[in-house]
Amino acid sequence: MRYSYIKPRKKTALSKDMQLLFTFFGVTLFMLFLTYSFLVFKDYRFDQTRAEILQEEIDLRKNIQEMKVKIALIENQNILSERVYTKNTVLKDSIHNLFDLVPGRITLSQAKIMENGLVLYGVTPNKDIYNFMLQAPLRSIFHRTYSSFYPLENGWFRFVSTNYIDEESSDEYK
Amino acid sequence: MNISRQNIYILSLSVVLLSFVLIFSFAVLIPNGKEYRLKRADLKKEYKKLKQLSDFSYETSTILQKLQSEHRHIITSFDTPFTANRFEKQHRSYFSSLKLSKLQKKENEDNFSVYEVNTTSEISSPKSFYNFLEAVNKSDWIVAVNFPINFKRDGEMINSSFTMKVYSNNKDKVKDSNTSGNL
Repeated sequence: MRYSYIKPRKKTALSKDMQLLFTFFGVTLFMLFLTYSFLVFKDYRFDQTRAEILQEEIDLRKNIQEMKVKIALIENQNILSERVYTKNTVLKDSIHNLFDLVPGRITLSQAKIMENGLVLYGVTPNKDIYNFMLQAPLRSIFHRTYSSFYPLENGWFRFVSTNYIDEESSDEYK
Repeated sequence: MNISRQNIYILSLSVVLLSFVLIFSFAVLIPNGKEYRLKRADLKKEYKKLKQLSDFSYETSTILQKLQSEHRHIITSFDTPFTANRFEKQHRSYFSSLKLSKLQKKENEDNFSVYEVNTTSEISSPKSFYNFLEAVNKSDWIVAVNFPINFKRDGEMINSSFTMKVYSNNKDKVKDSNTSGNL
């Protein structure tokens, strides 16, 4: 027996309104969580990248420090070697000049070259030749010059010439 | 006004969900978003700093390489351990005889190790000695001929004795050279 002329509508647990509500909030929440996940992931990546950058910075700083030490060493090596090379060249010129200073008539038997002095041993035909031709130029170079003569059997003189540069000005002569 | 029970449920659920969305957005998303922007700006700065450091490192490396190539001989000389035999072999042509004493360690100079070696030699003329002083600047070591230098005539020859200072890097690299060959 029918009591109504219309068909009964099917009743579901989720009505259309509820479906709409769930769809709307479902999409909203999905987007919210997606954004949140993106932010959390980015935060994690930032921290990771930051740590990598910091490590790279530490490595670079260490590397730069090592290179600076090497550069300083090479510069010091260069300065020292230049000093040594110059010293050797100056020494060569000084010895060259010293032997050029000795006149042909005077014969040297020994020369001692010290840091601030020079001792010459040799023979001279007479004292005048020594005084004018050797002692005079030596006096112009050294601050103190001492000479000793020892007569030889042939009339010549053996001489010892000791010459010193005073300590305070020896640097400029070196 | 007659509101059905179902509508009340929907309304309540909507209010709850909306509240959740709002609270979540304001309490979590917005602060996180701000933090994200700050971190992104910080990271940009860090990248910039890293690039500057990287550029500086490159510049320093270029300077170092240039110095290394320009002063290769000097760098090698400081690294080469001094051996009396090799020195004698290299410089015997300037002397009639050359004899080196054992190396002695001296006080460091400018953070470099200094060794001293006494040398006795025989030369035919002072010119040989000048040539030796020129050649010593091109040798495999950093060698300074030092005072006192003694020249003594012995017939046609000149006996010479002098000391040499050998400089090397501040490591105990110089071999204990007890060889003193007489050429």
